[in-house]
Amino acid sequence: MFINWALQEINLKIVYYGPGMSGKTTNLEYIHSKLDPSLKGDLVSLKTKEDRTIFFDFMQIEVGRIKGKKPKFNLYTVPGQVYYASSRKVILNGVDGIVFVADSQPHRMEANIETLLDLENNLKQDSHTLESFPWVIQYNKRDLPGAESIDVLQKRLNFFNVPYFEGVAVRGDGVFNTLKAVINGVVQNVQNQL
Amino acid sequence: MVQTRKLKDGSRQIILNGKQYDVITKVLSELATKTKASAILFADMSGQLISQRGNTDNMNTTVLSALAASDFAATSEMAKLVGEEAKFKLLFHEGEKRNVYLSNVGDNFFLVVVFDVSVTLGLIRIYTKKAIEDLVTVLEDTSDDDKIDENIIDSDFSTLLGNALDDTFK
Repeated sequence: MFINWALQEINLKIVYYGPGMSGKTTNLEYIHSKLDPSLKGDLVSLKTKEDRTIFFDFMQIEVGRIKGKKPKFNLYTVPGQVYYASSRKVILNGVDGIVFVADSQPHRMEANIETLLDLENNLKQDSHTLESFPWVIQYNKRDLPGAESIDVLQKRLNFFNVPYFEGVAVRGDGVFNTLKAVINGVVQNVQNQL
Repeated sequence: MVQTRKLKDGSRQIILNGKQYDVITKVLSELATKTKASAILFADMSGQLISQRGNTDNMNTTVLSALAASDFAATSEMAKLVGEEAKFKLLFHEGEKRNVYLSNVGDNFFLVVVFDVSVTLGLIRIYTKKAIEDLVTVLEDTSDDDKIDENIIDSDFSTLLGNALDDTFK
């Protein structure tokens, strides 16, 4: 979190994390497509020719002044593929809250778990822990036939009982609720610790 | 000094006071005048833009800061791979019309100087070096530290923010 007292600005960094093709970029694209132009900046995507995120996606959103303060939310995604591990680590620099976008398809369970462990490992290097850090889970692709049950996903992935949402990011289902929950989590976290 | 509050979960809160912001803006203005740079940005390593000077109207400086921070992050990983123990302090991108000169300011901040190819790199280097010294001095100045004790985020704030988010995300 970066606070600029002179401009009364509060900058928060939210990172969308998750395995490859789970829908992180789709979340940002939906948010970008729906927000009023006065509240959002450009969506920048560093992609490969095959449309896979190679480094990150980025956009900034604002919600106007609150008690004279101007909160700004910087949203980032990480590349999901295993071999971009070091890119994921550097994007977490200065992170305030995380959305873990899990893929609900049964054959992606191992990839979800592996990425969650990778996240925990990267957070530890910055002396954070998943137990006390503000983060939420979005179980995405709920519309696909054969999607794993929420019970099973919860048991395997949500071991700290953080807020979770069912999502169909291509249609926007659950996208704003997820974002709102993570922002609330960050704000609560700051409030509880001052 | 730039206040850094460490929260229990390990996250950092960096707080810049009004005086520091004024001095930073002044240093940037001087640098812009002396170097005739098209644009100068000061940002933190997580990618958040703090101050800017020069002709930035047609430039998306928010995104530029985010990309520049990633540039530093990527090259410091590169440094490790090639056996350089410190981080690279300086990055330079050369174009046909414009060049970009990036230099770190302490461990947590950096400066981006965008300039026309007609301006010599040597000139940019000399004045940027001086500006960085001034910036480091103001960032380390502790004289006004105790002036900020107000909690910027209270329960009232979170309720109002929640309502604003509801309106925004309708």
